[in-house]
Amino acid sequence: MKRRDFLKYIGVGGAGGVLGFIFGKVSKPPVGKLMPYLIPDPDIIPGVANWYASLCAHCGAGCGVLVKVMEGRVKKIEGNPEHPVNKGKLCALGQALPQTLYNPDRLKKPLKRTGERGRGQFAEISWEEAVSTVAKNLVDLNKSGNANKAYLLTHPLRGTFAKLAAAFMSSLGTSNIYEYELFQNRNLLYALETSMGLDCIPRYDIENTKYLLSFGADFTSTWVSPVLYSDAYGKMRQAAPGNRGKLVQVEPRMSLTGASADEWVAARPGAECVLALSIAYALVEKGYYRGGEVDAWRSALSKYKPSAAAHIADVPEKRIYEIARDFAKTRPSLAIGGETVSSYQDGVSGLTAVNILNHLAGNNGIKGGVIANAAGEKPDFKKGIAALIDDAAKGRVKTLIINNTNPVFTTPDGAKTVEALKAVGFIVSLASFKDETVALADIVLPLDACLEDWGDDEPNPSVGYPCRTLMQPAVSRAADTLGAGDVFLAVARAVGGKTAGRLKAASYADYLKDAWRDEYAKNKRMSAGTLTFDDFWNASLKKGGWWHPVGETKKAMRVSPSAARDAASKGPSMFEGDAKDFPFYFMLYPHHVHRDGRGANIPWMQELSDPMTSVVWGNWIEINPKTAERLGIREGALVTIESPFGKVSAPAYLYPGIRPDTAAMPIGQGHDAYGRYAQGKGQNPIRILPFKNDLRTGAFAVNSTRVKISPAAREGGIVKLEGTANEAGRDIAQTVSVSEYMKMKKEAV
Amino acid sequence: MSGNPIKAIIERLKEFRRPGYYKNYDHKWTMVIDLDRCNGCEACVTACYAENNLPVVGKEDCGNSRVMNWIRVERYVAGEYPDVKVKFIPILCQQCSKAPCELGCPVYATYHNQDGLNVQVYNRCVGTFTCATYCPYDVRRFNWFTYKWDAPLEQQLNPDVTVREMGVMEKCTFCIQRIRAGKDKAKDEGRAVKDGDITPACAQSCPAGAFTFGDLNDPESRVSMLAKSRRRFRLFEELNTEPSVIYLKKVFADGGGNPPVGGHTLAGGHPPVKEGHGG
Repeated sequence: MKRRDFLKYIGVGGAGGVLGFIFGKVSKPPVGKLMPYLIPDPDIIPGVANWYASLCAHCGAGCGVLVKVMEGRVKKIEGNPEHPVNKGKLCALGQALPQTLYNPDRLKKPLKRTGERGRGQFAEISWEEAVSTVAKNLVDLNKSGNANKAYLLTHPLRGTFAKLAAAFMSSLGTSNIYEYELFQNRNLLYALETSMGLDCIPRYDIENTKYLLSFGADFTSTWVSPVLYSDAYGKMRQAAPGNRGKLVQVEPRMSLTGASADEWVAARPGAECVLALSIAYALVEKGYYRGGEVDAWRSALSKYKPSAAAHIADVPEKRIYEIARDFAKTRPSLAIGGETVSSYQDGVSGLTAVNILNHLAGNNGIKGGVIANAAGEKPDFKKGIAALIDDAAKGRVKTLIINNTNPVFTTPDGAKTVEALKAVGFIVSLASFKDETVALADIVLPLDACLEDWGDDEPNPSVGYPCRTLMQPAVSRAADTLGAGDVFLAVARAVGGKTAGRLKAASYADYLKDAWRDEYAKNKRMSAGTLTFDDFWNASLKKGGWWHPVGETKKAMRVSPSAARDAASKGPSMFEGDAKDFPFYFMLYPHHVHRDGRGANIPWMQELSDPMTSVVWGNWIEINPKTAERLGIREGALVTIESPFGKVSAPAYLYPGIRPDTAAMPIGQGHDAYGRYAQGKGQNPIRILPFKNDLRTGAFAVNSTRVKISPAAREGGIVKLEGTANEAGRDIAQTVSVSEYMKMKKEAV
Repeated sequence: MSGNPIKAIIERLKEFRRPGYYKNYDHKWTMVIDLDRCNGCEACVTACYAENNLPVVGKEDCGNSRVMNWIRVERYVAGEYPDVKVKFIPILCQQCSKAPCELGCPVYATYHNQDGLNVQVYNRCVGTFTCATYCPYDVRRFNWFTYKWDAPLEQQLNPDVTVREMGVMEKCTFCIQRIRAGKDKAKDEGRAVKDGDITPACAQSCPAGAFTFGDLNDPESRVSMLAKSRRRFRLFEELNTEPSVIYLKKVFADGGGNPPVGGHTLAGGHPPVKEGHGG
């Protein structure tokens, strides 16, 4: 500041002070509190934290958290040490909960569309107006006899809220509930149900296994329940001295989990199913399979002889036999099938093949193998996103309630999702952020962050015993928002009639407590050892839920040769596009913290380097260095990726952990909306996919097209935190070989 | 020395402050990181951001190497397709007993405390950058700007940790606020600090359980047990900085499908890319 300016401000300030004093006598300023804690709230001791047990809602794993609250603000999230799923640990995305809560781009008031649909022009309205507009629409729809044209599209629901939503929709006279999320385990659940007769995602006992054969399951970063399985991974490696489990990862592009594997098997994309079945054949052929129906198995698998499969899967025949030998001889062993495999057009086959492997090696129902869980929630396989888009495009959807899911971002251009949603009469969006789907809504209802809301959950996959967990508000609402449960109850009250009659609770907190009270009355194990329901409720809130760690669920888990034949009769999975024009398989995978795009609006997550490439704040495409050299692509140069269905561009990252005939991109970046941190960070690769959905499960296949890659003349603007991935002989991350390690173990006292 | 009590105290204090003789410190806080458990997920990095009020610097400053992470997971890749081997190693301030950074500071902003920790006094720091130049581990971070949190993100800031401003050097503190809280609690309860009382944010979060934190002066502590492992090594041991972070070597497969690749034999086996695939 210049001296002259300084004097000027002093002068103005001084004059202002005098004037303020004079006017102050006339118009008194509103009374504020100079010391807000002069009479402190009994719960708030400045400098001392309160910890609340709650749940993380950033993904579907259902981890328990402890929320550190100081002076009414959330300071930190840690895992709940008592919680059976995550045992006190938490992933990066889970720890970013405070940045969702305090995100500057959160919706703060209900909105009404003012401009044309899709323009994203909205005006703030009151909750009364918003709720009555929605209720009026639903009542009108009912009166005109179109009740069945009201649809609910929601992220997958569990626990009490699922029951509330079902009761709400059925009281309106419709059963149109569509659950959608890009990575939803539809194929996994279907494969488990049809081939093994399981009504749950089992607990894969990675912790105690000695040989883990993973088909594209990135279980330490994104698959199903990453913290549960990361914990198990750590224990598999080093918990039992001398018994270090081995990890073999089969995938065309090395994932974060693949990077930690002892062996990486880079099978051809789409051929993992054939490879798995040829391993199964080898198990039977070499006599490792000790169960019944040997001949039936031999004939069911006869199409997958390793000699033929080796060529299809691009894995040497000798190695197939070696894997089969190790998988059968190492006890216990375990096979799992993850996102890479389930995201093919024929994802069910690959996952069924994994079930067959576990059956033939005798891994089902044993420690270190596949352990059954109680029945978990399951989506309606007929109600996939394609079915909803089809209904909407044909004008069958008059009113659509969208609850916290973003199909516009996670479906390709070819799905024509935006056009279909524009054909819907009235769209209500329940969301915390103005994402691509919210931009099409007529009424936007702002939701609480999970740290402000009530809820409960039955984790899926569960932990082998009964487990019901509770979410409670750790802080009061930061803005004029409501929880999704409260929104449904408010709308039900405004609709009146049967709907209001069935959903009488004054708040979702009451509804939740009543639901638990009912279950407490019925469930002997819940009530054991507690005097009253209130005792039990308070204890559960304090602990984070209720679980009963005895009585593992026993279920028959077997695969019959005929089931295998039905589900896995096809060859490698299809990729759209001619191999000559489009030479590269295009593999998409969920970014380790942005997942299906949800984490992209969190600044910590944008600045967290991708573990395999160290890229921050943007997108990239992974190309094998040899391929890049052939195509004349430098690291960081912008390349155009063209599929038969469209084009996107991204900077190149030269990645040795990928097949030369494959290119891979993370999903998560490329938002057009979704707040200041997410917008304008590269392009969304989902856009150029074909919209291929499995008719059996309703799952959308993201690994389904070939692409061609051409260098653009520009720099791609890639930002990496690393200098080099080359250790250059400096011996930084030191290693010992397995044989040396075994020797150490023997010598150690 | 019995003659002059003041002299005796001075002598004793000198002994305390002599680097390397950490048996004399009240505690010898040590972290053991098992590389065989680490899977590179970076949960520790986010935990550190949340606990220690680390600012988000944005894309441009990330590109200018001004990212403020106190802990990072380095990843080393060796070999060519299909025999690619990857190793992860979390790197944070090694809290050296003979810390090179302490030698250079002209204003004693970085010094050794009574727990053998290498601490940074923000109020003393004048930003000469000497310590960062002396550090062989590249863990010191300089505030090139006063970073702002977009409102209301600042409501998350941890009141137990200072928000630093432009011109100040900072680095991992082993979560000294947690160490202090743990010691205070033990003192309030009239007992000594137990093993497991204190856990830094990174160690607390680690999903794979790779981190263990404790007092090396306590022979019964978990870190004392783990520090005896035959797999132990310290980063750049040859520099004789005596780090307080002890790593346990990753076990690498030999046999099987891939040929064995040892850590120090990798330099030549790199893909023929002009800039290296990491740039």
